[in-house]
Amino acid sequence: MTAIRRSATEAAIGLLPIAMLLALWFAIATSGLAPPALLPAPQTVFMRLFHLLGDPQFLANCAATLFRLFTGFAIAAVLGITIGIAAAGSRAVAAVVTPLVRVLAPVPKVALYPAFVLTLGFEHSSKIALVVADALFPILLATYQGAIAVEPKLVWSARAAGVSQLRCLFTVVLRAALPAIMTGCRIGLVISCIVVFLAEMITSTEGLGNMLVRAARNFQTVDMFVPIIAISLLGLALNAAFNALRARLLRGYPEES
Amino acid sequence: MVDNAAAPVRSAAKPRASLALAAIPGLPLVVACAGLLAAWDIAARALAIDSLPSPWSALAEVPAILGDGEAVGNILASLRRMAIGLGLAVLCAVPIGLLMGRSRAVAAFCNPLMMVIYPVPKAALMPIIMLWLGVGEPAKILVIFLGVSLPVIYHSYQGGRAVEEKMLWSAAAMGMSARARLFRVVLPAALPEIMVGLRTGLVLALITMVTSEMIARQNGIGNILFNALDMAQYQTVYGMIVVIGALGFVLDAGFQVLRSSLVGWAEPAQPIIAGST
Repeated sequence: MTAIRRSATEAAIGLLPIAMLLALWFAIATSGLAPPALLPAPQTVFMRLFHLLGDPQFLANCAATLFRLFTGFAIAAVLGITIGIAAAGSRAVAAVVTPLVRVLAPVPKVALYPAFVLTLGFEHSSKIALVVADALFPILLATYQGAIAVEPKLVWSARAAGVSQLRCLFTVVLRAALPAIMTGCRIGLVISCIVVFLAEMITSTEGLGNMLVRAARNFQTVDMFVPIIAISLLGLALNAAFNALRARLLRGYPEES
Repeated sequence: MVDNAAAPVRSAAKPRASLALAAIPGLPLVVACAGLLAAWDIAARALAIDSLPSPWSALAEVPAILGDGEAVGNILASLRRMAIGLGLAVLCAVPIGLLMGRSRAVAAFCNPLMMVIYPVPKAALMPIIMLWLGVGEPAKILVIFLGVSLPVIYHSYQGGRAVEEKMLWSAAAMGMSARARLFRVVLPAALPEIMVGLRTGLVLALITMVTSEMIARQNGIGNILFNALDMAQYQTVYGMIVVIGALGFVLDAGFQVLRSSLVGWAEPAQPIIAGST
């Protein structure tokens, strides 16, 4: 009972700074301290977002962004989990993958974007490539870490029961490493969300990032806030959806922080 | 040579010559770089398009970039902004994170706000911040500051939360004041985790720096890179990519050295899981 009340109080405390931030925004905008050309009122921005939800062009932009995001994330997840599990299962693969990761992981991937544009063109593929490059490493590293931390006795028991080594990777190691993999995927998902927006800001003809750049060139401040809020809400929604999926997939696993 | 403890898991755990070679420090990295260059070379030959020059012509461009005084000035200006943004972020984020870690109320206060801010692409705020602060230094430093702060807060929070209670009790029993406990117990105990946050922050600072300069084309590394892209100077584009990539690797490696001298007593560094903004 007290625990429930306590968590409710904590949730209320947590909503406070968000409400304060919105109130501050509202106060500055309405007091005339900042002209509307620099800081539009929050209600104007949210009304505009609400109106645009019925606009087919805005929806087409959202769809383009979502398509790139999910394709890139899916490729990164498949590649990352496969390579991570393979590296944990075989020393030879690990010997190849580890130095490559050490060289490539700290490289700022945005700097690779010009190379992707030049080789893959201005369309979907260059953005998807950037999303893959950015989301791959967190997923790969988390999978590898999770897979090498799997209790060896689990693997020995399975092997003693006559399971082949390859099947063992899929039926034992992959399952046991699932919590770590999910953590990596969640980081990768948020990163994908951010990166796809940046790629669209740099060169694009559609998408939410392109909306922001176009609005900035025309000094339409309200339209600049709309895509940023849209992508943030999208990130929050994806994060929540992912947490729900994670809770479903990890049912019965020991609870972790 | 003896098999290591995890060896029974793998069937063929005999030490082989190739694996013994991999133990020489630095060699796997050199081989990895060579492999990447070879893959690039093959791709350049296979595609045979102007927009993907061979790696050798791109590498030949690197000394030209580094020999050009203006380009070096740009790179130094970028690094200076990055250092200021990163430094300010560390000064603000570490105390906030530690406070969140030690006080449940502060954590409850700050956590949801962080959750809301986290998926906002910080570099995307650049056009709006430019409206407010102009295209000069403050706007770019602010964006780097915003990009770096969150991971550093998050890891400091985790580090502060995980401090062994018994150590705090012992310190209190020995008569240490709350202030002294914070600096002499909590900070050192949380330092390894803070360093993980700083490492992520360092990579993020580099990414945000490049992106912010790409949006506000005035000077800096990102400006050289994306102007070269717009003017179709392909060799310069790839040369700059090599320079930025090397910069990322060198900064990360340098940080590792600093880390091991500061918190060498802690567990070995976990590999980086960098975010991106």
